[in-house]
Amino acid sequence: MFRLIVEKELRETLGTTKFAVTFAVCAVLILLAFYVGARNYQVGRAEYEAARAENLKQMEGLTDWGRVDHRIFMPPQPLAALVSGVANDIGRTTEVETRGELRSENSRFNEDPMFAVFRFLDLEFLFGVVLSLFAILFAYDAINGEKERGTLRLSFANSIPRDRYILGKLVGAFLALAIPLLIPILIGCVLLPILGVPMDNGAWLRLGLVVLAGYLYLGVFLALSVFISAMTERSATSFLMLLVVWIVAVLIVPRASVLVAGRAVDVPSIDRINFDKSKFETQLWQEDRDKMMDWQEENSREGESGREFFERFQQYTQELGEERNQRISEYTARLNEERRNRESVQQRVALGIARISPTAVFTLATTNLAGTSLSLKHQYQAESATYQKIYSDFIKEKTGRTNSGMVIRLGGEEEEELDPIDPYELPDFSFAGPQTADVTAAALPDLGLLVLFNVVFFAGAFVSFLKYDVR
Amino acid sequence: MELQSPSRALLEADNLTKRYEDGQLALDHVNFAVAAGEIYAMLGGNGAGKTTTINLFLNFIEPTEGEARVDGIVTHRDPLAAKKKLAYVSENVMLYPNFTALQNLDFFARLGGRTDYSKDAYRDVLLRVGLQEEAHGRRLKGFSKGMRQKCGIAIAILKDAPAILLDEPTSGLDPKAAYEFIGLLDSLRGEGKAILMSTHDIFRARDVANTIGIMNQGKLVMQRSKQDLAGEDLEKVYVEYMAGYMDRETETV
Ligand SMILES: Nc1ncnc2c1ncn2[C@@H]1O[C@H](COP(=O)(O)OP(=O)(O)OP(=O)(O)O)[C@@H](O)[C@H]1O
Ligand SMILES: [Mg+2]
Repeated sequence: MFRLIVEKELRETLGTTKFAVTFAVCAVLILLAFYVGARNYQVGRAEYEAARAENLKQMEGLTDWGRVDHRIFMPPQPLAALVSGVANDIGRTTEVETRGELRSENSRFNEDPMFAVFRFLDLEFLFGVVLSLFAILFAYDAINGEKERGTLRLSFANSIPRDRYILGKLVGAFLALAIPLLIPILIGCVLLPILGVPMDNGAWLRLGLVVLAGYLYLGVFLALSVFISAMTERSATSFLMLLVVWIVAVLIVPRASVLVAGRAVDVPSIDRINFDKSKFETQLWQEDRDKMMDWQEENSREGESGREFFERFQQYTQELGEERNQRISEYTARLNEERRNRESVQQRVALGIARISPTAVFTLATTNLAGTSLSLKHQYQAESATYQKIYSDFIKEKTGRTNSGMVIRLGGEEEEELDPIDPYELPDFSFAGPQTADVTAAALPDLGLLVLFNVVFFAGAFVSFLKYDVR
Repeated sequence: MELQSPSRALLEADNLTKRYEDGQLALDHVNFAVAAGEIYAMLGGNGAGKTTTINLFLNFIEPTEGEARVDGIVTHRDPLAAKKKLAYVSENVMLYPNFTALQNLDFFARLGGRTDYSKDAYRDVLLRVGLQEEAHGRRLKGFSKGMRQKCGIAIAILKDAPAILLDEPTSGLDPKAAYEFIGLLDSLRGEGKAILMSTHDIFRARDVANTIGIMNQGKLVMQRSKQDLAGEDLEKVYVEYMAGYMDRETETV
């Protein structure tokens, strides 16, 4: 019985022009997403390698480690090819100083604002927007359409349990969409390594989970469509209702959640923090200047040469400078931490609200899996901060001083001949990106939520259909 | 213990009453029985309650009072068991437009629990109900009402259930097909089926039915056997009953 209904549903769907057109469009879009994604990865990777090489090259011939302009770069994430997430919004170049905050610049969208306007066509967009719409298109009249066509009463003149019937409808609709879609997806998967995207076991596992999330998400919209079609008498009504739900879930809730959270939780802006910081710096500098003046008055010794005095003075200012920098960096660290805390509260609020939409849940699950969620930025920041310490120690060792104090070069001294530095001595920075175990764990709750959406909507469909008038 | 006679009642309406949610009393304490090997024709004007009666047998709706039984099974208590014993042709047969006649037959035969038919069996039945061979492999989309009706009748035959419910089965059939349909009913009766048929066709009803019931405003106002009606002009009886009932109605008002 169940199999019969599934089979009928498959046959009824697969035979239509609607299906042929939909399938063709989906197949083309999916293949395009794989292809464009892989090409982008290649380009990104090449740019990354070139930038790294260029960074070392421009140091050649320098003789002083203290004068080095060192940059580190974020490599493209392989799965960002399919789920770009925030990968294109994060700065890919970071100028490393021995102290102070690191700033990443040159995000993809910064360089090509054109793409920022329309975003990329990636797998996440395809499932999130296009396929959910197709799911509605195929299932909005699952029940009431049969009634309108008069086939529901003829079917129920037979001894069919209603639960079996509605499950058969849902499973049939799901298979009719899911199985054909697997073809372009599998072809795309074969293309990835051919097009130069390095796929290790972890990446395959994550990609598999991305596809699973896509199918769960497709199931959510199918179950919802069947649910609403079992609540209404006319297919025109259910179509309209589903369209409204789709707009709210796909377009409105995710954006509104950010707005609402922005209103609910106040986060100081970067500008505000910079302002506070420079005010503090000025204040400290004034204090130190007074101290230096006092020092000069108190410490002038009889019979000391100008040069000796100056060396002692430089010693003192260096100490002061180090202390000042210490305080400034503590102060900014505190400001930044405060900001981060508020930001994370705001983020939690936004994501919490957004999760009432299956689309947002799907986006969060897939960006987590692809390693292109917000945590990519945090992780990159953390790793570059760690590197900064290593780098700073390296420079200190090479130059014998931090470049924090005032470096005053005394004129008139003979310029001694120095050996050129070897840029390859620099400690290496290579950002590995989010790890499979971590991203999978992070994505699990959202995958669970997608399952829950499926169950809830199917239960709704089932309950509605139990009392549905089949005449 | 009573021996089951060959003419046991397969379809029974027992004080069957239906009041719709909007208060409309569509069926008012109706009693009748259709035995195996018998055809019962329900006559009555539009809105008399014929379709309501059939819907109650199919448990599409629940009775307000009384019960409908199929082979002793109360339909609203155990609808799945009751429907196993029922075949049904609706007033306006609608099938899957994108399936061919054969595909529709195959689906509904399986839905009715019959998985043992060959393609030839489907063709035979379609020929038996008068659907020309050329149409068997065509999609239902292009079928006329009468052609769909024939497919519906074929589906009911394929189910091979002991009781058959027919809601105006000849509507949409051309005279030749309608004539052949009567022959078909006769042979189904010969196979021992109990047939409950609603119709507006007094003459055909008279030709084929064992018992004729006339309904008016939800009441069964007349029920007579074929023998009982022999020699009478059924059309006149029908009009008289409708009118008489109307008169009585107007008298009481
Ligand atoms: N779903 C419903 N809700 C309310 N009233 C209904 C409903 N279905 C039928 N009725 C009413 O019940 C009465 C009987 O209707 P029914 O369809 O049984 O008549 P019928 O004898 O089959 O008529 P026809 O010959 O036109 O097919 C009518 O008055 C009709 O208006
Ligand atoms: Mg009717």
